[in-house]
Amino acid sequence: MVDVAMVGAGQTKFGNHPLGLKGMWAEAIEKAVHSVDSGFDSTDVEEAFIGSIAFGGSQLGNTAALLTEHSGMEGVSVRRVENACASSGFALRDAWMAIKSGQADVVVAGGIEKMNDLSASRKRYWLGVSGDTEWERLAGLTFPGTYALTARRYFHEFDSTHDDLVHVSVKNHMHGFENEVAHLRKQVSFEKAQSGFMVADPLTLYDCCPTSDGASAVILVADHLAHKFTDTPIWVKGSGAGSDHLALHDRPSITQLRATQMAAAKAYKTADISASDVDLAEVHDCFTIAEVLATEDLGFTGRGLGGAFARDGEGRRNEGSVTINASGGLKSKGHPLGATGTGQAVEIFKQLRHQVEQERQVRDAEIGVTHNVGGSGATCAVHVFGRQR
Amino acid sequence: MSIAILSNDQGHFACSQYGGDWAGPDGDRFTILLGLLKQLPAGSLNLHTFEDFLEFIPSVSVRDIIESSTEWRIDNQASFYLHASKSSYIVAITTSQDEPNWPSFDATLYDKDMKDQLDQQWKIEVEGVSQGAYVSQAQHSIATPSRLGLKAQVDHEQLVWPPRQLNATGKRIESASEQLSETATILTWTRLSAAGAPSEFSGRAPILDGVSTVLVQFPEGPKGVFMLADDEHSQPAIDASVRFDVRRLYGQDGMMHYGLKAILL
Repeated sequence: MVDVAMVGAGQTKFGNHPLGLKGMWAEAIEKAVHSVDSGFDSTDVEEAFIGSIAFGGSQLGNTAALLTEHSGMEGVSVRRVENACASSGFALRDAWMAIKSGQADVVVAGGIEKMNDLSASRKRYWLGVSGDTEWERLAGLTFPGTYALTARRYFHEFDSTHDDLVHVSVKNHMHGFENEVAHLRKQVSFEKAQSGFMVADPLTLYDCCPTSDGASAVILVADHLAHKFTDTPIWVKGSGAGSDHLALHDRPSITQLRATQMAAAKAYKTADISASDVDLAEVHDCFTIAEVLATEDLGFTGRGLGGAFARDGEGRRNEGSVTINASGGLKSKGHPLGATGTGQAVEIFKQLRHQVEQERQVRDAEIGVTHNVGGSGATCAVHVFGRQR
Repeated sequence: MSIAILSNDQGHFACSQYGGDWAGPDGDRFTILLGLLKQLPAGSLNLHTFEDFLEFIPSVSVRDIIESSTEWRIDNQASFYLHASKSSYIVAITTSQDEPNWPSFDATLYDKDMKDQLDQQWKIEVEGVSQGAYVSQAQHSIATPSRLGLKAQVDHEQLVWPPRQLNATGKRIESASEQLSETATILTWTRLSAAGAPSEFSGRAPILDGVSTVLVQFPEGPKGVFMLADDEHSQPAIDASVRFDVRRLYGQDGMMHYGLKAILL
């Protein structure tokens, strides 16, 4: 079967971005194209998959065609992919499958979101449309609430306290501090993160990622074309995805994400690796408790041990057993919803090619993983990347 | 909300724990009536002029809400008549169509400023327009017996709630018919600030110093999430028990949406 190589990757800075949709997407594509070592013509793209939750409803229909029209890909077969915050993780998977199936040789996957020019109430509305609206939203829940319910239950079931989440927050702010594309580039002390404004008890401001603007894109090609574009392609060795009940109350357990477990198992199997082979992972830490669960569900530590994993600094860059969120993660790098998944892939692409800022480089990194979750765990896409085919 | 009930030769009267001047943070004449009906032996009711005294139009019919959340049935030939006081938050069930002599109730102290702010906020909410039809009228109506009456479906000898059309293997499940218990146990809970609450609740959350939500499990197995009510002086805890009352959930598009809220036992 065809192997898939990533030969280019680019993104805007995440945060309060001055550009609109078309401008941000154009910037991400421009950077992805420029990152291709031997040059790349965007008119060669055969298929494009663009993840987005639709930026507050401003362009709900034909979003993707509008974006490709404005980025030198006029005429390309294109569609918007929507799976809440996992939209571009699934766009990446769709792109990977398009090449794997032999239907296309050159494919773009990306994502985009523009949230910071929405009114506060409209932003809250759009951030709350991806749960089981009929049964969760009417009970007062958006995602801070659902993850807060999970965190409190996690503390009840396992040997963990809110301090473990503080460790996650401090680490990710430390990692993101030197990342020039990160939304929140500031270090946070343990004491400050411990005493943040309460958003959804027990989660404070420092447990919650920001809502960011941003766009990201990667260029995937079939194996026979990889070395036409670069001597150092990054291979997309595995891809897996899963889904689960949208509502927490319909799940057998709320302290683990079954969608992540299914996605990881499939991705590791296709890549023929195990969790212990992973050198760095960009995980979906929309809330700090989500990173704790991810380290368990991705197999980096055992069930119920994610709190201790964070407490012991296991995810710190070049210190722990596996670097978790070298970019700063959603917590610091930012979370432009639909752009997050391929934004994670951009980070892995650069890390594995040793192209990030020197102080951020994960040493001897050979295998990286991305983990992109939709909602409170209804959807999840996991990808495995490697320097070796 | 604990209601106060007074029975005399005219019939049965009820108001909120705050007396006749206020129905509480998420109460109104309708929720007081539903509380009263749950306390009385079931029968048939004539709505009479009751709907004329509701501040806002319910998103689901008064009949459906009463028949889903209580054992009472609406019948225009019934000999029990509903009344509501125009000048106070007192409701009555009598055997006469004539307006009863409204009794006075002892009241507990409450924060008048908070009441005024909440009253104003409810009006603002109801006048607001939805930013998207995230819960359609059909969903509201179809699920009313389950949403308000805790009716569950049966699938392979297990109870299913909230309701769904097909089971995990794609087979159709019969309509909800089994009654879940009236109490449940808290598995986890949170208290949301205005920043953490959905837009529907973000106006009231600061006035109430946050809104609480609990994830509970019924003795029969199903789980669900509910907002907490009457928790001004208490905090939820894992393994604590709750019961349920119908309260105002939120107002939108000129209508008031009602639903079950959990109350700590």
